[in-house]
Amino acid sequence: MDTKRSDSGPSSMIVARVADEQWHVLEDDLVVGRGHSMRRPDGRLFISIDAWRSAAFDRLAEAMLADLPAPLYTVVDEAHTELAADWHRAGFTVRRREWEFVLPTDPLITGLAAARPPSGVRIIPVGEADRDLLRVLDRAIRAEVEAGAGWQSMPAEAHPRPQGVTLVDPARYAVAAASDRYLGLLRLVTATRRPRIGLIAVLASEHRRGIARALLSHVLGTMHLSGTASASAEADESNKAAVALLEGIGGRRMSRSLELAR
Amino acid sequence: MTKHQGTLEIEGYVVECLRNAMFTVELENGHRVLAHISGKIRKNYIRILPEDRVLVELTPYDLTRGRITFRYRT
Repeated sequence: MDTKRSDSGPSSMIVARVADEQWHVLEDDLVVGRGHSMRRPDGRLFISIDAWRSAAFDRLAEAMLADLPAPLYTVVDEAHTELAADWHRAGFTVRRREWEFVLPTDPLITGLAAARPPSGVRIIPVGEADRDLLRVLDRAIRAEVEAGAGWQSMPAEAHPRPQGVTLVDPARYAVAAASDRYLGLLRLVTATRRPRIGLIAVLASEHRRGIARALLSHVLGTMHLSGTASASAEADESNKAAVALLEGIGGRRMSRSLELAR
Repeated sequence: MTKHQGTLEIEGYVVECLRNAMFTVELENGHRVLAHISGKIRKNYIRILPEDRVLVELTPYDLTRGRITFRYRT
């Protein structure tokens, strides 16, 4: 283990970088705080600090900011005001706000029972999409996002990939399809007890045709039939269309995440 | 329960998600604590739900408060 030690400030706290991506702050040989860094697939460097006291947080923040190249990012729940204040004190400012919604699946609540795909469009269930056509759609949607609003307004977990890399797993997608091509997709994560809708995206040329609602109707309706009462989804606060779509089907705002940057 | 460099780690079940970014967790010894999600978990966008089995690190300063450091796949 490559350990780098620094001892700064008036107290007996010592910060030690105990691994490339891990820092400890010790007081009387006890660990009273931990810091971690992680590079996300889009290349951004995220850090976290878990400390029981602000003094330990500040000491870790000072050491990590000195060790790591800017810009740095972190995520906090807005309701965790003490932690948010700690990060603000370290110079971090809010870069984006993202709501987590809990969505009902019952068509009587969502109002999606009558949401059918437009003429000439059919919904392909999760797991049945053609991988090549899905890859083409994924690339087209990503190109549109990068040429338009950018990833800033997309869910924080939907991020750009290195150029030329397109990884799509049909087992995670429901798709809206025309006769010769795919028009929209919904990515579903089912690893947790409450399934999560990770992304809903429709080609710009196909907007305002009800395709997103038809995808939601199919996926949420299928969950309802299988006994799943709710799903979750996130929407950036600035993405008014996404927020309206989720609230329009009875989505309840649960918590708000802040992405902070320095 | 394990003791790890001055902190206690103990398994429990999430009983309730509170509105102030905290959770009520019932520990395997029957005690209930208020816990936040660790920054490391939040950084990975891991969601915590009622009935999740989790690992909680207890603060040495207040044994009624904790931090959720791991969510088990149940």
